Amino acid sequence: MTGPVDTPAPDQTESPHPVTGLDDVVHQRVRLGILTIAHEARRVEFGFLRTQLALTAGNLSQHLAVLETAGLVEVEKGYAGRRGRTWITLTAAGNAALAEEIARLKQLIARVETTDIPEDR
Amino acid sequence: MTSDAVPAGGDPRRLLTEARDLAHRVRLAQRVTWLPLLVLGLVTLGAIPAYRYGHTVVSNCKPMGDGGQACQVWFQTATFYWWTALVLGYVVSAVGYLRVARARGLETRIAPYAIAGIAMLALFTTLHVFVARELLPPPDLERPLPWVVLALFRLTDFSGSVGLALLVLAWLERHPALLLFALGYLVVVIVPMNFGWGNHWGDKWGFAPMLVISGGVLLLGSAGFALAQRLRRPR
Repeated sequence: MTGPVDTPAPDQTESPHPVTGLDDVVHQRVRLGILTIAHEARRVEFGFLRTQLALTAGNLSQHLAVLETAGLVEVEKGYAGRRGRTWITLTAAGNAALAEEIARLKQLIARVETTDIPEDR
Repeated sequence: MTSDAVPAGGDPRRLLTEARDLAHRVRLAQRVTWLPLLVLGLVTLGAIPAYRYGHTVVSNCKPMGDGGQACQVWFQTATFYWWTALVLGYVVSAVGYLRVARARGLETRIAPYAIAGIAMLALFTTLHVFVARELLPPPDLERPLPWVVLALFRLTDFSGSVGLALLVLAWLERHPALLLFALGYLVVVIVPMNFGWGNHWGDKWGFAPMLVISGGVLLLGSAGFALAQRLRRPR
C-alpha cells in the first residue's frame, strides 16, 4: 500500500520560536516577580511583595487576582495578633509556569546570541 | 487597567536579571545566620563544665612501659550533654529562624538544617560507639592512630558534626560567606591547634582549650554575620 509521503515544509522542521510558547499571564514583569519571590520564599506576605516590587496595594492586588484566577497562586487571609495579613503561596501549576517561563527566556537569549544579526547600514 | 500600568514582557535578559535579583533579595531577607552560630557557640562552651565535672567511665586499661596505664575513657555526662544541648540548639535555631522570617513576611527552608544536624548526631554517635567497641584495638599510646583516622574521628565528633550542619545551612541559604566560614571552622576542628595553651592545666581540663577555640570561632562568626546583616539593612 502506498500513500502520500509526508514531507514537512522547511519552516516546520525547525523548532518553534520560543516567543510562541510564552504565557501572557506569566510573561509580565510584575507577575514574574511575584512568582519568583513566592517560589523562593515558599509563602510570602502581601506587604513584603509590595515593598520589593515597589507597587501600590491596589496594583499588586490586581496582579495577584490575575495569577489567582489562572490558578498559579493561592491567596490566604489571616491575622497576626490584631493585624490582618495576606499570605501568597505558589501552586504546583505556578511552579511549573515559572519554570517554563524561565526556560523560554533562556531559550530566547540563547537564540538571540546565536542568530547572525546583520549590521544596520 | 491597573495591571497594565507596568509594561508587559520586555527584554528577556532584563527579566531574567530582575528575577535573579529578586530571588537574591528574598534569600538575604530569610537569613538569620548569626542565630545558629550563637546557639552552637554557647553549646560548645557549655561542654567545658560537662567534661570537667561530669562522670566518666574508664575501661579496657593496659599497662604502659613507664609504669602507667592507657585506658578507654567514655565521657558519659559530656555525651549526654552534647546530645541534649545540640538537639535543643537545632530546634531553637529553627524556631528562631521561622519567627524572624515570618516577621519579615516570608517563610524559610530551615527544617532540613535541623533535621540534618540531628540525623548526623545520631549517625555519628552510632558510628563512634561501633568503632570503639568493634574495630579499635586496645589503646596503645606508643603507636598513635594514623592522622587520617584521627581527622575522620574529629570530623564525626560533636564539634565536627556542628561544622557539617553549617555546611548544610550554607547550601540551603546559597550563602558563600557561610560556606567559607563553615570550611574554616572544620579546619580548626580537624587540625587542633591550641598553640601550647592549656598544656599545664592538667587532665581534667584537657578538652577546654579546643572547646574554647572552636566555641570562640562560632561566637566570633555570629558577631560578624550579625554586624554584616546590620550594615546591609536599608536605613
